[in-house]
Amino acid sequence: MLARRTYQFLIVYAAGLALLLGLKYLAGLSDYVIPGPLLVWQTFRDVYGRYAADTLNTLSVAVLGQIVSICLATAIGILGRQTTWFGNFVKVAAYNVQAYPIVALAPIIFILLGDGFITRLVIAAMICYFPLLLVVLGVMSEPVVEIEHFYRITGRMRWQLEVKIRAFENLHKLTTVVAGSATLAMAGTIVAEFIAANAGIGYSIRIALYQSDLGKILVALFHIGISLSVYQALLEWAGARVQRRWEAAGGDVAS
Amino acid sequence: MQISCDDIALSLAGAERPVFTALSFTLKGPGFHALFGPSGVGKTTLARLLIGHVRPDAGRVSIDDGCLRRLYAYNLERLPGWSSVGRHLEKITPAQHRARCAELAAEFGIEPVLGQRFARLSLGQKNRVNLIRYLVQDFDLLIMDESLANVDERTREQIIVKIKALFPDRFFLYISHNVIEVARFCRQVLVLRGAHRRPQAVTVPGLDGRGGATVSPEMEKAMLAIMNAV
Amino acid sequence: MSYKPPCQEPASCAQPFRRRGWLLPMLLACLIAAAPADAADPVTYRLKWLCNSSTVGDLYADVHGFFAAAGLAVEVRAGGPERDAIKELELGQAQFGVASADQVIRAAAKGSPVVVIAQIFQVNPLQWIYRASRPPIDDLADLEGLTIGVTYGGNDETIMRTLLAKAGLDDRDVTLMSVRYDFTPFYRGRADLWPIYRNSQGIVIADRMTRAGEPVRFFNPADFGVRYVANSVVTHQRLLETRPDLVRRFRQALLQGWQAALDERNEAQALETIARFDPDTPPDLLARQLRVTRELVRPTAGFAIGRIDVKAWRQSEAIMRGQGLIPEPVDVLARLHGPEEP
Repeated sequence: MLARRTYQFLIVYAAGLALLLGLKYLAGLSDYVIPGPLLVWQTFRDVYGRYAADTLNTLSVAVLGQIVSICLATAIGILGRQTTWFGNFVKVAAYNVQAYPIVALAPIIFILLGDGFITRLVIAAMICYFPLLLVVLGVMSEPVVEIEHFYRITGRMRWQLEVKIRAFENLHKLTTVVAGSATLAMAGTIVAEFIAANAGIGYSIRIALYQSDLGKILVALFHIGISLSVYQALLEWAGARVQRRWEAAGGDVAS
Repeated sequence: MQISCDDIALSLAGAERPVFTALSFTLKGPGFHALFGPSGVGKTTLARLLIGHVRPDAGRVSIDDGCLRRLYAYNLERLPGWSSVGRHLEKITPAQHRARCAELAAEFGIEPVLGQRFARLSLGQKNRVNLIRYLVQDFDLLIMDESLANVDERTREQIIVKIKALFPDRFFLYISHNVIEVARFCRQVLVLRGAHRRPQAVTVPGLDGRGGATVSPEMEKAMLAIMNAV
Repeated sequence: MSYKPPCQEPASCAQPFRRRGWLLPMLLACLIAAAPADAADPVTYRLKWLCNSSTVGDLYADVHGFFAAAGLAVEVRAGGPERDAIKELELGQAQFGVASADQVIRAAAKGSPVVVIAQIFQVNPLQWIYRASRPPIDDLADLEGLTIGVTYGGNDETIMRTLLAKAGLDDRDVTLMSVRYDFTPFYRGRADLWPIYRNSQGIVIADRMTRAGEPVRFFNPADFGVRYVANSVVTHQRLLETRPDLVRRFRQALLQGWQAALDERNEAQALETIARFDPDTPPDLLARQLRVTRELVRPTAGFAIGRIDVKAWRQSEAIMRGQGLIPEPVDVLARLHGPEEP
């Protein structure tokens, strides 16, 4: 899984590089516009250590932000699954608020909370929150009638069992959105760092942009791609393990 | 034990025609009764009416005190997939019915698959497992909506005979398309007809298990009466 | 924003016909004479940043027909954080642009064929603001112990590091604070010095602080011998070689536009021109920004706007080399082709 994701990324990255170099030589562009392979390699050697640390920094914020997001989305999704007034309110609020571009709110958050770790965490969590919430809400609001009927009619239904049934029946959907939101969390953290932070790979990219250094940006993209591949592979593996565990041994049935 | 409907009218949302118009009948229990009728006539809707999931537009459903604990089982139900069938049955069987559960598992032929997940069972096995879990609950009335639809004929007969033997004091309403089966095994057959027919429901006596496997004249008469009533 | 010059009036066809035999040739002559004059040369000019008082001459040259009079149809395009005029020259998306010395030197170090044809700002507007309640910074050694805002990776970082090195100070002797887009840390007193553009936000912040009872001063690196060249006009080496006339006409028209824009007698028109492209800045503030811009572009009354300060360019290159911002020396002289050249 990891090997596959890694070489998939490497193929895409190499293709992108080849395209850029092709453009460079076709149009006769200088190293300033598109750096040559030697310059890219030199830049890589100069900054790979620093950028690797920056990327880990960003990834750690992204992962934590995603965890916060998952917990929040799960809680709100479970609360909002009912057709009560509160449940409907949660659904409507979720659909409407997700229309706001979070990146536009990011500068305000920076002003209020400063440019430390907490701000980046909040922005990362906000960016991957709504897709997670929508999927959780969708899953939790949709009864699995063929399974739930017995428990309802025999008076055995509890909210924990209802959540468990719906989560289990939609496990694949949930693990997919969690894996997908990893990319969102990473992208969100990078954008937050880009706007106004003083750490992380997004911050380094911003500096590279000031310096019009495409070489550094390519190195940064490489680090981001590799770390995301590893992280997503990890999430897929974890998701598959959860599924296997629930299917293999008899789990603790709440019914 | 008695269930009756008095002049029931019901239209479902989005339907062109009403399901019931002036539906009236009385079924006196206990016993193994049938609800019979062509596809789409409203058998499942009637079942939902009887367990209170649907309210009529007009008329009255009367369920006497002897039938208060009502259950409804249908053939498309599934068990949760996170534990084996046996473990699930353990969890949902009241303590006083554990022995009964084991007996039913043996009689219905699903003992060999108790260690498997529900999804891996055949359709017939699924039907049987689902039925068992209802039979081990405390109930007065059990409506079985095509609950044995995927079970082979011989096993179906065995199951019906077993149910009648083990639960003589309960009220069963067996929804089926099989006229031979309902004629042979059921005490009363409530034949449901289209909403334009008067009366919309007709009660025909069945053989209630008398007469064995052969098609006797009595059984032919019952079958004829059922088919004429449709 | 481009100004299309009206077609020249066709040559008069009023000459009387003397003899019928000359009718056809005369008709033909009229038709030939009536053909439109050569169309203006289309040119794209990419600015470094948004249209504001720092671009008054560029806009004035366009709006008041200086480009048109030189036979140029110039499209002036605003710059921004994601734009790079030098890259656009190489990609053929622009023929002329505005870039600062660090951009030019960095590009030259990477083989970009960029050349400088005029230097707009003689004094770099990038300076620092500080509260007048603090001791004045009369000597670079006074920077010790202060909290100084810098944009990491930006010119202000480069300039500040040069100043610190000149004073024999390093990172441990001061506290460098990362600068974002807002000025809150300075307002809240968490930073002693904050980088600003002297002719734009510098005025706004100074006003705000003064109204709040906290007058300010400005710290100008040029006062301490650090001259880091700012906005200059650039073009592609190939254009200079293949179309020197076009380059000359453009430069002349542009600098005439700047001259006119900064002439005190044209102040009202200059302000009206800027206001068209920067409607959000109040007029009185625009006026003050224009006056400061005038001092930075035309330090003395008779100064020839656009003159290239070769010493300052050499110093800029040395600063960048000293801080490892370029891997090898760059021959800046070879890139400078100012108005003083024939």
